[in-house]
Amino acid sequence: MSAKVHVDKISAWYGPKLAIQDISLDFEEHSVSGIIGPSGCGKSTLIRCLNRMHETIPKARVEGQVLLDGQDIYGQPAVSVRRRIGMVFQKPNPFPTMSIYDNVAAGLRLNGVRERKKLDQAVLESLKQAALWDEVKDSLDKSGASLSGGQQQRLCIARALAVKPEVLLMDEPCSALDPIATAKIEDLIFDLKKDYTLVIVTHNMQQAARVAETTAFMYLGKLIEVGRTRELFERPGETLTESYITGRFG
Amino acid sequence: MPQAAERKALATGLQKLNENMLTLAELSELAVRKAVDGLTRFDLETANEVFTLDQEVYGLQLEIERNCIDLLALHAPVARDLRTITTSLKITTDLDRIGRYGKDLAELTLQFRDKPVVDRGDVARIREMADRTISMVDTAIDAFVRRNAETVRNMIEVDDAVDQLHDENFRDLVRRMSEGQLSIETGARYLLVNRYFERIADHAVNIGLRVVYMVTGDWLPRIRAADRAKRHDGTKEKGAT
Amino acid sequence: MKFPVDRDTRRRWFDFIMSGATLLCVALALLPLGSILFEALVRGAPALTPTFLTQSSLMGGIANAIQGTVVLIGLTALVALPVGILTGIYLSEYGKNRLGGIVRLFVDVMTQTPSIVVGIFAYSFIFELSLLGFFPPPLVFSVISAVIALATIMIPIVARTSEEAMRLVPTSAREAALALGIPRYRAILRVVLPSCASALVTGALLGIARVGGETAPLIMTAAWNNDFFNGLNQPIAALPTQVYRFAVSPSLAENRAAWGASLILVLLMLSISIASRAVIRMRAVRR
Repeated sequence: MSAKVHVDKISAWYGPKLAIQDISLDFEEHSVSGIIGPSGCGKSTLIRCLNRMHETIPKARVEGQVLLDGQDIYGQPAVSVRRRIGMVFQKPNPFPTMSIYDNVAAGLRLNGVRERKKLDQAVLESLKQAALWDEVKDSLDKSGASLSGGQQQRLCIARALAVKPEVLLMDEPCSALDPIATAKIEDLIFDLKKDYTLVIVTHNMQQAARVAETTAFMYLGKLIEVGRTRELFERPGETLTESYITGRFG
Repeated sequence: MPQAAERKALATGLQKLNENMLTLAELSELAVRKAVDGLTRFDLETANEVFTLDQEVYGLQLEIERNCIDLLALHAPVARDLRTITTSLKITTDLDRIGRYGKDLAELTLQFRDKPVVDRGDVARIREMADRTISMVDTAIDAFVRRNAETVRNMIEVDDAVDQLHDENFRDLVRRMSEGQLSIETGARYLLVNRYFERIADHAVNIGLRVVYMVTGDWLPRIRAADRAKRHDGTKEKGAT
Repeated sequence: MKFPVDRDTRRRWFDFIMSGATLLCVALALLPLGSILFEALVRGAPALTPTFLTQSSLMGGIANAIQGTVVLIGLTALVALPVGILTGIYLSEYGKNRLGGIVRLFVDVMTQTPSIVVGIFAYSFIFELSLLGFFPPPLVFSVISAVIALATIMIPIVARTSEEAMRLVPTSAREAALALGIPRYRAILRVVLPSCASALVTGALLGIARVGGETAPLIMTAAWNNDFFNGLNQPIAALPTQVYRFAVSPSLAENRAAWGASLILVLLMLSISIASRAVIRMRAVRR
């Protein structure tokens, strides 16, 4: 049974500096995978290699393969890869000059879709999927920046979902949010997994424990351990993993 | 940094838990030893001390339960810490029971007061059950204290021997009572003594198995000899076709 | 001598004095601007008769100069804005390397080139080309020549301000666009540029304002035309040159007319500024 995304010996550099080394792991379809580790361990770098965002940084370099449904994403145009693998960032970043509607529709519109009906449909569906529709349905033309932090992040999720990706990458999506907003997003993740494959980077271990079925632990650019979350948090295999999750260092 | 602070609070909590568990284990074992001592020597004073010990055991067990729940609620522990806390929570029940059976033995001692045990065979048999049982309790508690899973991996087999002894004693007592060699009243009391020891041994096995989980994360199933035999017979019959 | 008041009161006095000093400085800074507007208004207004405004300089009016300035600004903007903004885009989005650094240096140097030098450059550039046979010699003094000069002044300004404007757009906006699978150029055009639209417009305005008032290059390239605009290859009138001519003239009447032309020039620049701000505000309100 091949995984939806198969990472094969990925290494990445920022200029001369090696950030992650020889990482291999799988992400199963319709599951939530978590990546945890202390600051600077390379988890954000890894996730950015999964949708070819790492290379947008000047002097950045990647080696290895990432197979999406068996095909290496580094052999295809980056633009089409990013339409199939979407991303939500740590700090909510709705497009500043666009309304809520325009924000969600941006991915489609800027890729050539013009039909009003299609856009309306996509905006409706995405906002519903992101559990934001009820809150904004009467103010779709308001600026994206007029929403609260948690709402903005859900807006960004809706925007990412609008282009109908297969995989959704989330880079510490709740870091900038308060506990209630965080809980709402975690509920959202729970609902999304039946239609998408999700990968979440988080520095909050309890969050990984709550939402992810599989968890990977990284340290200093290397993958230390990966397994079912339950197993990892009940009896981790590596001493390093145990030290980190019990808070003995961090 | 929040992580470091949590570690301190959790570490303090875990240390206190460990100290309490040690005390509880000591008290339970002491209760059983004193009860056996009182029973075999018919020392009523010793027997009375056991009642006090049992009270202490019960009180301490409640406190430990509260400690564990607090640690779980506040610190969301994982891995070893989680296993230690949940194991402690479960073991307190076993230790409490062991203390209780100690108290039950002490009560029987008081009842034997007027009719001391004369038969040397009986004394010997009681001694044997007592020694094996106490040895098992000792091993289990020692394993918990030292966090050593090796010594308790084979507790089930040791328990089988105690079960066997228990069955032999049972059959012997029933025979003697039906043949009139033993008064019903005395015999009934002997049956109870027999039973209590077997139960204490059982709880010692529980403790041992839980210690294995706490240390290694492995679950060892608790399948007793009798059940194993039954299962074997069952499959034999089925396999006949 | 000890202050007879307590620390708190002392602090409040200090605050008050500093605020006062700041306001004084603001007044000082605005004084030149204020006096220019005042003088221009007071001295120039009497000269603004209907004939003055509608007749060409043959009849003593400045109509052709007004038209000339508008034509020159318009054509220059047509050339300089796209080039300047594209350069700004290059510097901001693609110019993080050594080549970008060199381009940026050149652009910076160009913003500081004295405008008379630019004028001479444009003049001799066209002249050399005409020697080589590309253009007939008379082109040296023409609208085209002037536009080349003015554009050379305006492009670096627009390039730098556009780059600064685009720098204001946070990287997160670009990343969000790229992560949606939007090609880079489209991300720049449809997300980054609109995000800093008002800053871009401000930059364009700065360029236009600078160029609208330049006199030296016009003397070298546009020369003078007493009639209205009659061809790209012909000299052309313009307000700055008109002011100069009136001002150095021995005729007192023409000296007074210089103030009138100055007033018109100032009002023209002011109205461009106000109109653009209005446009920006309209865009903002609609959101």
